[in-house]
Amino acid sequence: MIRVGIIGCGKVADQHAVQIQRIPGAEIAAVCDSEPLMARQLRERFNALRYFSSAQEMLAACKLDVVHITTPPQSHFQLGRICLESGCNVYIEKPFTLNTGEAEELIDIAQRRGLKLTAGHNAQFTHAMVRMRELVRTGYLGGEPVHMESIYCYSFGDESYAEALLGDKEHWARKLPGSLLQNIISHGISKIAEFLKGDHPRVIANGFTSPFLKNAGQGDIVDEVRVIIDDGHLTTAYFTFSSQISPTIHQFRLFGPKNSLVVDDDHQLVIKYRNNEYKSYLRYFIPPFQFAWQYLGNFSINLRKFINKDFHLPFDAGMKTLIESFYNSIVSDAPLPLPYREILLCSWIMDQIFMQIDRRWPGLTESF
Amino acid sequence: MVIPGPGVSLNGEGDNFIHEDDTILVTGGNGFIGSRVVSTLLSYGFKRVRCLTRSTGKSGFLESVVKRCNQAGLEIVNGNLLSRKSCLIAAQGVSVVYHLAAGVDKTFAGCFMNSAVTTRNILDAVAEEPKLKRFVNVSSMAVYSNGKMQRGELLDESCEVEADLVGRYEPYVYGKSKQDELVLEYARTRGLPYVLLRPGVVFGPGKAQLTGRVGINTFGVFLHLGLNNIIPLTYVDNCAEAIVLAGLRKGIEGEVINLVDDDLPRSREFLNLYRSRVRDFQSIPVSYQLFYFLCTLWEKYSKWSEGQLPPVFNRKYCETYWKGNTYSNCKAKKLLGWYPRVRMDESLHKFFEYAREAKAPR
Repeated sequence: MIRVGIIGCGKVADQHAVQIQRIPGAEIAAVCDSEPLMARQLRERFNALRYFSSAQEMLAACKLDVVHITTPPQSHFQLGRICLESGCNVYIEKPFTLNTGEAEELIDIAQRRGLKLTAGHNAQFTHAMVRMRELVRTGYLGGEPVHMESIYCYSFGDESYAEALLGDKEHWARKLPGSLLQNIISHGISKIAEFLKGDHPRVIANGFTSPFLKNAGQGDIVDEVRVIIDDGHLTTAYFTFSSQISPTIHQFRLFGPKNSLVVDDDHQLVIKYRNNEYKSYLRYFIPPFQFAWQYLGNFSINLRKFINKDFHLPFDAGMKTLIESFYNSIVSDAPLPLPYREILLCSWIMDQIFMQIDRRWPGLTESF
Repeated sequence: MVIPGPGVSLNGEGDNFIHEDDTILVTGGNGFIGSRVVSTLLSYGFKRVRCLTRSTGKSGFLESVVKRCNQAGLEIVNGNLLSRKSCLIAAQGVSVVYHLAAGVDKTFAGCFMNSAVTTRNILDAVAEEPKLKRFVNVSSMAVYSNGKMQRGELLDESCEVEADLVGRYEPYVYGKSKQDELVLEYARTRGLPYVLLRPGVVFGPGKAQLTGRVGINTFGVFLHLGLNNIIPLTYVDNCAEAIVLAGLRKGIEGEVINLVDDDLPRSREFLNLYRSRVRDFQSIPVSYQLFYFLCTLWEKYSKWSEGQLPPVFNRKYCETYWKGNTYSNCKAKKLLGWYPRVRMDESLHKFFEYAREAKAPR
């Protein structure tokens, strides 16, 4: 039995608790929040054994195998460190830490103590992303990726989070070094980081405020970002974050020397672009038919998974896969679901983006 | 100026024990009901009405009140109930608190935080206030359970509160219920002089949607589920006045009071009027028994599939909203000396007029 603790009992903790309960052999042994009422409500709803308002007390009183940290990111490093120092493996929600320096230090502690650490990049483990990864592993691209495009959109719509964020200048997300972006873009960046070589790719970023936010009097929030990434090893990438593109798409396009792939996370589609040439007018009839067939195949996969109660919402499904793989890596000493290099690279790219779009350094944004 | 209800005087005499110079705090004053509570208090002649509102950048419902009263008698405190500091500032010197703020969120944790944690903060802030005479907690009639009741039975203040709101999968009502529990705990442990109000479906200009007790549009077609059920409506101005009176009347500490108006319409009647006066649309009548059966299936599938479909439709939920009960406002009338100033036909007329102008979604 894996004994799990959760620190931070807000909305994200609910998602974690639901997925942990779906994993055979895992139990929520303790929950903790600096606000005791929040800790108590999570304990009551998920039948956790105990609740605490101090992480130190929880770690001292309970023998935990894994701790999930679902607090605002400002506390990730500190809490991650005390959990590791208490001998616990740690799952830290995204963004992993505030910067690469903190991420390196946590990974260093984990390695020195023989413990495991992962980041909440659950978007990497949606059904579609898992299928894409399998295709890449079996050589579908025909070599290393030549180029990637990751598009990650966000809607300010009626989301309560956005309302809370826009209405509250003191909201923790606004106080992150990368503000709103830091809490969101890791999902889109981690997709790119997975396939980059080298540790310090060249990153050129431009960020600006959409007219929508300017009109709402929120000119201090950057909600449009365009990034070019070059790893120096012949793989490049574009990253787009937008709050204004409609629909709010979440896509990853992976271009190889032979074939290419498009992952549509919103509809859980993986579409293959094959290098098949057809003569004359046939190219206008056979490939469209093949694409239609592929879409039908995706429909069939999704439906089968749904019938077999293995679909769930993509990010929930991704979280379950990530948590399960992480627990498996602890129990069986299997490889981590997210290599540390990928976590660090994602963090480093994000640091570069925030530094370049920071309004305090205007010269850098103009150089785009 | 509105003539205050029977027995209400602003000099602390008669049935009333609050003076016009007493400081009154309204939380959630920028909301649909809260703004009417503020407006009613001002129209009663209270000179120190304080509103704690979040500076959301949205104008909200309070804006028109501010314009109308030219801020005379009204003090706006920008803050957040999640901040103990904001609560302490807002609670300074208050005699009456009208606590209407509530968490509207899709998640249990979000609703709990914005209903229960906020309530604890304001309770801590006011509990030591020497001048505090009354804490009016505005809850919801949806917290009751009618599971053991027959169809058509009277649902009143003596009915039991639902113990499993997680099972009913209603984050908002869960938050409200936990809020009520905290108020009762503070009354027990710290002598909080509270009154607990549970309004039914509050309707009126400002909120154009049809209540779910009539039916739902979740599946792309309007399912009329209320059929012959009585809809426990209370017009927003009537509701606001009852809330105000609950803070002013002597000797009603510790009372729980449900709020509905007189002459409550049946669902079929309400829907027909809506379709003729706002806009027409197709609806499919669905019997309670059939929908209960479908909810049973949904609930079982949700459990079997480990939440692949969340249990939004379940038996408890179906019972609460579509089983059909009768309602009473006798206690509200007796203890508050309240009566619905706006008659039901006039209320419906105003609501339909607003809904037509607002091009109401179903």
